[in-house]
Amino acid sequence: MYGVYYYSFKLLIEFNAMPTLAIEIKNLTRYFETGKDTVKALDGVNLQIRTGELFGLLGSNGSGKTTLIKILCTLLYPTSGEAFVSGINVVKEPEKIRGKINMVAGEETSGYGILTVRENIWLFSQLYGIESGLAKKRIDALLKLLGLTKRAHTRIHKISTGERQKMNLCRGLVTDPDVLFLDEPTVGVDVNSGRTIRDYLLKWMKNNGKTVLLTTHNMVEAEEICDRVAIIDKGKILALDTPSNLKQMLNNEIILELETNIIKNLSLKYEFSKVDNHEKNTSNLRFLLKDESAVPDIISELSEKDVKIKSLYKSEPTLEDIFIKLVGRNINE
Amino acid sequence: MNNFERNLRAIYARAYVRIAGTNRELSWIFFTVFLPLLGISAYIYVYKATADPEILNSLLTRVIIGGATLAFWMNVLWGMGNTFYWEKEQGNLDLFFMAPISRTSILLGMALGGMFSTSVRALATIFLGALIFKISFTLESPLLLIATFLLTMIALYGLGMLFASLFLMYGRGSWHVTNLLQEPIFLLSGFYFPIKFLGFHIAFIASIIPLSLGLDSMNQLIGGNFAQEWALMPLKIELLALGILSVLFFYLAIKSLDYMENLAKKEGRLTLKYL
Amino acid sequence: MSIIKTFKSSAWLGWEMESNWANPFLFALYSIARPIAGIFLVVLMYWFIDAPENLFALMFVGSVFYMYIFNVLFGVSWVIQEDREHYKVLKYIFMAPSNIYFYLLGRAFSKTIITTFAVLITLLFGALVLNVNIIFDKPLFFLLSFILGIIGIAAFGIIMAGISLLLVRHNFYIGESLAGVFYLFCGVIFPLSVLPSWGQSLSKLLPMTYWLEATRRSLLGFGDSSLEGVTDLQIFRNLLMFGIGFLILSLISFKYCTDLAKKRGILDMTTWH
Repeated sequence: MYGVYYYSFKLLIEFNAMPTLAIEIKNLTRYFETGKDTVKALDGVNLQIRTGELFGLLGSNGSGKTTLIKILCTLLYPTSGEAFVSGINVVKEPEKIRGKINMVAGEETSGYGILTVRENIWLFSQLYGIESGLAKKRIDALLKLLGLTKRAHTRIHKISTGERQKMNLCRGLVTDPDVLFLDEPTVGVDVNSGRTIRDYLLKWMKNNGKTVLLTTHNMVEAEEICDRVAIIDKGKILALDTPSNLKQMLNNEIILELETNIIKNLSLKYEFSKVDNHEKNTSNLRFLLKDESAVPDIISELSEKDVKIKSLYKSEPTLEDIFIKLVGRNINE
Repeated sequence: MNNFERNLRAIYARAYVRIAGTNRELSWIFFTVFLPLLGISAYIYVYKATADPEILNSLLTRVIIGGATLAFWMNVLWGMGNTFYWEKEQGNLDLFFMAPISRTSILLGMALGGMFSTSVRALATIFLGALIFKISFTLESPLLLIATFLLTMIALYGLGMLFASLFLMYGRGSWHVTNLLQEPIFLLSGFYFPIKFLGFHIAFIASIIPLSLGLDSMNQLIGGNFAQEWALMPLKIELLALGILSVLFFYLAIKSLDYMENLAKKEGRLTLKYL
Repeated sequence: MSIIKTFKSSAWLGWEMESNWANPFLFALYSIARPIAGIFLVVLMYWFIDAPENLFALMFVGSVFYMYIFNVLFGVSWVIQEDREHYKVLKYIFMAPSNIYFYLLGRAFSKTIITTFAVLITLLFGALVLNVNIIFDKPLFFLLSFILGIIGIAAFGIIMAGISLLLVRHNFYIGESLAGVFYLFCGVIFPLSVLPSWGQSLSKLLPMTYWLEATRRSLLGFGDSSLEGVTDLQIFRNLLMFGIGFLILSLISFKYCTDLAKKRGILDMTTWH
């Protein structure tokens, strides 16, 4: 009985000792001097990420995602502002944070080609002071969960990109960090491997009260797994909320999708995005409209331009639509 | 786990990479043992072609000791000093700097890892060189020789750490500057001739390089009367100076690593590749 | 892609990689200081023992032109190491329609040009400061033997580059070690008569020995006493065989090594540790 009370009390202390905010960013700014220009990578970013949250950061290339992660990982100083991880200032006390964090980036080339998968993960576990016996157990478990057991003794210059990324994830998780930074972790990884990684991450977080900051281009990924999402562009946070609340921003708006014959150059009164399907020889046009009354105008305009409409349907707004609305362009542009 | 234990593990892990990597292709034995002897043999033949037979053994001893020590110098310069640059290019530097370990642990791990192959090269140079060219060493105090060698290495590796901090910040430029400095350091360290020949004042300035004092001391202990005639300073003073340099270089290295890391983080150069 | 385009673009690349790390003034300073510092070690050794002038001159010219052997031979094999391990572009070069053999030749060409600056500066330094008496009375002989020698050295470098494809990082040692063999057995910094008899026999089989001898005869008016019995024509013939022979050998061996690397799947392996 006393054991139960003691254990409960201990958990309570630990729970209360855990900061409510895993990450706190206050007015963070970062400039880069590039000889002739000054690039503002981050522009007064404010953010709070709770402990236990899987937080998504959506932005196109050059929006400031990686710069933000590097500052939080103590690899870069901000020009101004402050950032805290687990309540610790990343600039003033970086050594206190390092044992609590880890980072995995997409298309990461870290590691030593001449060592095996197991050896590479072991190496990085030792930098965090994990005893070899415990490291071995964790590595075995992670390799099994991510389907790498058979490749454990293969030198990494012989493994595929997907396997390499899974190994990188093992490296990030073997230290059991309180906060894990994932910078586009599923880039270059096949669909199945990407799904495996996402499923494992959710399980890992739920069981252990961990926090993940995930940057991604993959809207579907962000919608599926993130508790909250921030959209960042040119160093500024443009929107921050749960994926469903963000989509509510376009609740009154209509997504109109048309499949037409393949069109090379097209300009219309209403803004749209176009994706060509060369296999089917069609173009897919997508409109974000305030109301349905625009639909006949669009059809009429297309008809005047001899565009043959093969199919037409309305759909619900996605995060991508929010992104385009806020940023004014596709995430891949 | 406390900081000290964690750093020890880091040293071991990084050394493991180098040792395991080296031993996975055994061709290194051939290249490391036999082939560096060729370059040293060339300098031996220079003296054989031109030197007075009475002082020849002493000069050849100097060449052999210089050649053996060269292996350690190359390990310091390229196996340690240059390594942050290569780690950055490989994508490992971020991960090393994020980990809760000191930078010197990473460098020590690399240095220790390279020590095995370096030591093999050095010992092979000495034994094979002495055997092939029939060089005899006048060794009065082997323990003092070993102590001198170790002290030189400590100071040398401290200097290597100092170089590493420059590579952290300046990348490829440092690589070229280090390349540029190789030959002057050969000249000023007295690898193949006594540094006193450069004139006392130049030699005295050159003694800031641990190799200069280290080689001069070792030659005094092993090179016979001719080496002692050409000694820069008495042995005791040289050993004291080496001790001071050891402490000084380590202190400067730690300060410089901190300073360069902070500067690199401010300027955003720490993780910038192809710099 | 035409051979000439490949050659030109890789030569340009080689130049950029050697020079763009510093502003032009710093690079010029580096290009002057480095070769002179390199020579000075042996110069000081000769001064220390007060060696005769003619030996000093032989050593000086040998050391200066040895720069080609080291920079071009070692430099070309290093290209594989760099492009594979550091820049990770080797697979893309192999995939491109251009011929990698000519890519390597282009890189060899840029290294030759850069080394030539260093050689000229050092020769000038030797003539003006070290009182080396350079007479240069056989310009045609010098030019022809120089060209043939460089072709042979570049071809040798390509052979080493091919071998590098099959090895772990120790390909660094291959270049360094071969350079050591030539340094010892080609009479770069000492007369060949000092070598044991088997060493002298070996040196007479090495083409670089004749290349250095041709250079010395052209620039100084005399050469190594061990090669007094060898005429200029014989030297030229040896160099012709070397240049053409190694060129053909390099084509065959590089293709063989490339095919083997592809079969083993190690064309783009990274082995840095």
